[in-house]
Order: sequence, then C-alpha cells, then structure tokens
Amino acid sequence: MRALQVNGVAKSFGEVRAVSDVSFGVDHGEIVGLLGPNGSGKSTMMKIIVGILKPDRGNIQVLGTDVVMNPLAVKRTVGFVPESPRLYEFLTGIEYLDFVADVHGLDAQAKQERIMEFLKALDLEGRENELIHGYSQGMKQKLAIIAGLLHKPKILVLDEPLNALDPRSARIVKDLIHKLRDEQVPIIFSTHVLEIADAICDRIVIMYDGRVLEEGTTKDLKMKAGAPGSTLEEVFLKLTGTSDTREIVEALTR
Amino acid sequence: MYRLATVLTKSQIRGYQRRKLLSRIFSDPRSILLADLALVAGLGALSYFMIARVFPVEAQSALQQVEGEGLAGIPTAMAFAVILFGILSEISQPVQSMSTDLVNWLPISPAEYVAASALSLSYTYSFLLSMFIGISLGPAIFFGAMSVWVISAAMGVVALTIGACAVEVMRALTNRISSSFYRKSGRSGILIRLFLTIVILVFFQLLFSGPIVVYLLKEVTQAVRAAWFVPVIWPSLVVLGVSEGNTFSSVAFGSLSIAFLITLFALAVVFRALYWVPVPVSIRLSTRAYRPLAQSKGWLGLSPAESAIVRKDWRSLIRRREMARFLAIPFVLAISMSISFLPMSGGSLTEEPGFFALVPLYLIPVAIFCGILSMTSMGQEGYAVWHLYVAPLSSKQLLKAKLLLAVVLGLAFDVGMLIALSLLLRAATANFLVLLALGVIVVFEESTLGIYFAAKFPDFRETIRSRFVSVWGSLAGMFLSLIIAMLTAAPILASIIMTRTITVQLASVGLAIGAVVSILGWRLADRQLKVLLRNIQV
Repeated sequence: MRALQVNGVAKSFGEVRAVSDVSFGVDHGEIVGLLGPNGSGKSTMMKIIVGILKPDRGNIQVLGTDVVMNPLAVKRTVGFVPESPRLYEFLTGIEYLDFVADVHGLDAQAKQERIMEFLKALDLEGRENELIHGYSQGMKQKLAIIAGLLHKPKILVLDEPLNALDPRSARIVKDLIHKLRDEQVPIIFSTHVLEIADAICDRIVIMYDGRVLEEGTTKDLKMKAGAPGSTLEEVFLKLTGTSDTREIVEALTR
Repeated sequence: MYRLATVLTKSQIRGYQRRKLLSRIFSDPRSILLADLALVAGLGALSYFMIARVFPVEAQSALQQVEGEGLAGIPTAMAFAVILFGILSEISQPVQSMSTDLVNWLPISPAEYVAASALSLSYTYSFLLSMFIGISLGPAIFFGAMSVWVISAAMGVVALTIGACAVEVMRALTNRISSSFYRKSGRSGILIRLFLTIVILVFFQLLFSGPIVVYLLKEVTQAVRAAWFVPVIWPSLVVLGVSEGNTFSSVAFGSLSIAFLITLFALAVVFRALYWVPVPVSIRLSTRAYRPLAQSKGWLGLSPAESAIVRKDWRSLIRRREMARFLAIPFVLAISMSISFLPMSGGSLTEEPGFFALVPLYLIPVAIFCGILSMTSMGQEGYAVWHLYVAPLSSKQLLKAKLLLAVVLGLAFDVGMLIALSLLLRAATANFLVLLALGVIVVFEESTLGIYFAAKFPDFRETIRSRFVSVWGSLAGMFLSLIIAMLTAAPILASIIMTRTITVQLASVGLAIGAVVSILGWRLADRQLKVLLRNIQV
C-alpha cells in the first residue's frame, strides 16, 4: 500500500474549478515534487491532502486513513508547511512553538528538546523571546518549518518551504528532507524553482489548469517531452505550453 | 498627487466599507464632493423647514441669539473631530496595516505624500463638515446670516485641513516613538500601551455620550473666546470676528490660521522625511531560557491543546492594539450605564424604581460584553487561522477553549459590576446573590451563543479596522443576545412587579431558562464549528 494515494479528486470554488480529477500516489521514503504554474491547483491539492479542505469528489488515503472520513487522525500524522505562512505575530517565537507543540500533545521534555534543537539548527537561538512581528520573512518561514516538523510527522506536505530562506538554512532544510526520506517518511514538496525540484525530488507531478499533466522521474519527463538533453525548466515549459518566453521578453524590452 | 490621494482614500474607505457599490461610489473624490453638496443642501432644506414651520417663536428667538456663536464653533469642532478620528484610527488598527512600505517604492517626495495623505483624510472626513454646515444653513438663511455662514464654511475647510495635517504629524511620529519605546521596555511597554489605549478609548467614547456632548457644545463657544492663544481655535475666531463686525480680528486670525496650516504641513513633511522608512520593531519579552510548563493537563479540566489555545487567545487580547477596544468595553459600559442609571435609581437597590431598573441595566452590559468577546473569538484568528485547521483539534476542544476565556472574563466583569452597583446602592445580601446567579447564567448563555455566531459569520480579514465577525452576524448576534438576556431576566422582573421582591420560584424559572439556552447554545456552537472546520476559509 502506498503512503499517500489520491484518486479522482475534484474541488471547485463557486464557478472556479481549482482541481479536476487529480490522481497520483507517494510511496514511503519518496519525495514527490508538485510542480505547476501559478493557479494550477498545487496549493489547493495540498490543503485537501492535509484535511483542511473537503474535496467535492474523489478519495484520499493517507497512511491507510481516509482524509474525508477521519481528518483528525490524518492531522495527527501530517506535518504541513503552507505557502507564505501567516503566524500569530503577537506571540514570541518560543511561545508560538510551545503552542504548536501543545496542540500536538508533546510532553514537556520532548517539547524542550526538540524546540531548542530546531532553534539552534536554524539560527533562531537568541531571538526566540522576541515577538514574531519583528521577525524577517525568512525567520518566519523557519518558524513555520519547525512547527511543521516538531511533532515528528509520519508524512510531510511542504508548500514552497524554501521561500525566503538564506542559503545555509535552505541547505539545512534540504538535508533534513533527505534525512526524513531515508527514514521512510513520504514527502510532497511544491516549488517554483525547478533546479531545486530536480535536485531534491525522486519523482515529479506536473499540474496545469487543475489537472495532472505528466508524472514521472525527471528522466521520464525529459523523454516524454522529447527533449532528453534538456533541463527540467525547458521540459516544464514545453509540457505546460508556456515556452514562448522569447517573444514576451522581446515585446517587453521593445 | 491627486491620483495618490485618490488611491489613499480608496484604501481608507475600503478598510471600513466592504460593500462593493458604496465602496466604489465613495472612493472617487468627485462622488464624495457631490454627496457632500447633496448633504449640505438636504440638511439645509430640512433645518430651514424645521425653523420656519415647526419651531415655536420662542425657540426661533433663542436660536437667533446663539446662531453666530454656533457658526463660530464649526471650525473648532471640525479640527477636533478629524484629530480625534485620526487618533482612534491609529490606535485601533492592527500593526500590519500601519506600514507605509508601499509608498516607499514609488517615486514621490515626502511633501507630495503628506499633501496627498492629508487630502485623502480631508475627503474621508468631509462628510462631517457637510453635516455641520448643512445643519447651520437653514438658520443662516432664516436669520439672514449668510455672510457669516460662508466664512464659517470656508474656515471649516481650513480647520479640516489643519486637523488632517496634525494627524499626519502624529502618524509620522507614532511609529518612531513606539519603536524606540517598545525596544527598550519590552513586556512592560506592551502593558503600558494596553493601559493607555484603553484609557484613550474610554475617554473618547465617553466624550460622545449624550449628556457630555450637550455640556461641551454649551461650553465650546465661551472656551473659544477664552483660549484665543490655542492655534486650532483661530479659524473659529475668524468667524466670531465676522459675526461681530470686527474686521481686524478676522483678518489677523485668518492670517494666523493659514500660517499655522503651513507650519503644520511643513512639520509633517520634515517628520515624514526623517521617518520615511518604518523602523522594524523587535520586542524582546523575556531573557529567561525556555522552560515549558511541566504539566498543563488538568487545569480546569482542559487538555494541553485547549489550554494552549486559551493562553494564545489571552496573549492576543493583551498584546494586540486592535484588541484593546474589547477590553475597553466593560469600562465604557459600566461608566456610561452608571451615569444613566444612578440618577433614576433613587439611591436604593432594595426598592422600586431603582431595583426594577437595575436588573436590565446590570444585565445588558454583561450580555453585550460576553456577546462581543465570544462573537469575535474566531475572526480574531485572522489569516493565522490555518493553524487551527491543521491541528488535530475537534470542534468540542475548540469550543471549550474559546468558551473558557469569554466566560472567565465575562464573570470577572459581571462580579465587578455587581459589587460596585451593590456598594453604591446598598443591596440586600439575598438580592445580591440572586442577581449574581442570574449574571452567571447570562454569561454562559451569551458566550455559547456568541461562539455560534463567531463560527457562523467569521471575518478573518486583517484590514485597517478588522471586524472579526460579519456585519449581519454581529447585528443578528447582538439583537439575539439582548433578547435572550431579557427573556432570562423576565421572571425576576415579573417577580419584582408582582411582589416588590424576588421570589425563589420565579428566580428559578429565570435560571432554568438560562440553563436551557446555554445548553442549546453549546450544541449550536459545536455543530457550527464542525461546519467551519470542514473547509478552510482563507
């Protein structure tokens, strides 16, 4: 059985069809990259997977549990980092992480150990008693990542997790993701930076206009695009039909 | 500059007014001008009709005596009103809405920005001036004082601009001073800010209560004469000079008013240039190493997750400046209700009419306070509400946590108010205890119903003046809250009318009604929270 199985999922917001008949799966110890242009349905799909949006149709199994039927059980096992996370800015960094740990039921010793480890690793040590309101975007992103990992999730859903991170922190997060993959944690990862997807992901699902356009390893996708020697960026632009960038640049600089 | 002023006006109006059509109409300065002219003409016609056809001759002559002085009061009232609304807007908006980052990227100078921003404030508050000069137009025509009215209207515009420039000076300074203050003072700085905000809110809200306004209106014209050295009053002295035929005084204070306006503008430009880029505030609340609570489980029967939400919501209430208005409510209600109630109580809690009047006057503030606290409890999560969706929390857990804070604060207010009123009015112990029981049950029923409305009509948007609950939700919620509170008190009121005291039987009926409503409210709130948690709203 796959760690995550998405079958025929659809979701609309009024007249707008955000996700339509999406199916894919993720195995234990696999990192799957969710790629697609803005508005292609990636974030909606991720929210459906973690149980905070109810699909109109379809079925999602997370570690054998149906998300729609039992969202609480799924939320206990998932670590989620949303795109541009908004935090409780009136809390200090430490109060925020303490809140997240309590909500996930960590005991006092586990809280202290894990929070201090993460703060040190991501260079937030010494700033933890300041209000989040004064944090930079990168520091807020680091806090959101720590919050997503604090309770040792059994599956990770990361929506643009490397946004605004400095190179050192980005490297630490990437290494952490690989380490968790080695510990058999399934990971879904969305990004706009295709070099990162190429470097991190074992498999890639390309979404376009709310549907899955292609799915496979980078090598598979290059073959499908008929461009075996190309970069992932060229393959992506070709598959999504958005490769006419030269004309646009010409028009803009005219 | 005109374009920038239009954009700033749109931003300001959309922060308050979310109905698209009204927002579109009033975000265009030309539409605002037309609406202002219509308001002046409409109010002018109405006030003329009232004087000519409705008012008796004695009232006409009384009005004629104060007409000149009334017109003179308009510019001063205008300047103070704009400054007042400016201050209220600054202290009640969330910190996120205060940044002027966006304009830093635009190729505009500080002078252009200040001019555009002051112009935008003038557009926004021009309706106040239109109201003042519209109401005074009828008497001016009737008594043949049009020349004074024209000068009053012109000085009203000058005063409006003076007020707008004063607000600009204050805005530029506020961020700078508060950043330095918070950086140095940390946790105590936040508490001082909370205290000062509550004091300012209470002061200004009481300022607008009926009896105080009437008193101030009587005093304002005499104060204008006495305080000729205060620059904000100079435009009014121009009008007084014209009405008294003192040309020298009018010209002198007219010139001084313009000079004051130019000085304020220059000052605002200097401060804006100095503090153009907002200083990021980093407030350290503690220097102690992290030591998690050993065991938060069991506290009032709450789980660690529920306790965590209560602690978070409490911190939100005492640390966010936009939340201070909720903490100000009990003080405003208690003071204004006491002002209204004490004179009619006859000084006794044990007999009519005081005792009869006390029941609703004690319960209404309690109902309003609990209703507002609980109705805003979901919306105040703002865009960070995703945490509650992602967390493994059931609707019941969320309900317990949200309810606890509203109930604890509601009970504190309830007991405090009852003790104060009882001491003032010498309540008998038995009556005190019955009223206390009634207050406690009202706190529970209002809080559970309030959370139902919070979950049914949440407004998570973080804007200049976040509402936390939709307009219809808050209106319906408040209306129902008051009806329910009165329904709960009805048996006790009936008991007072029939027996001149409180009978245990009828008091029990009131408490039973409260208990039933509380249970019903709990169930409704739980069901609605389940619906809310199904799909993330933002």
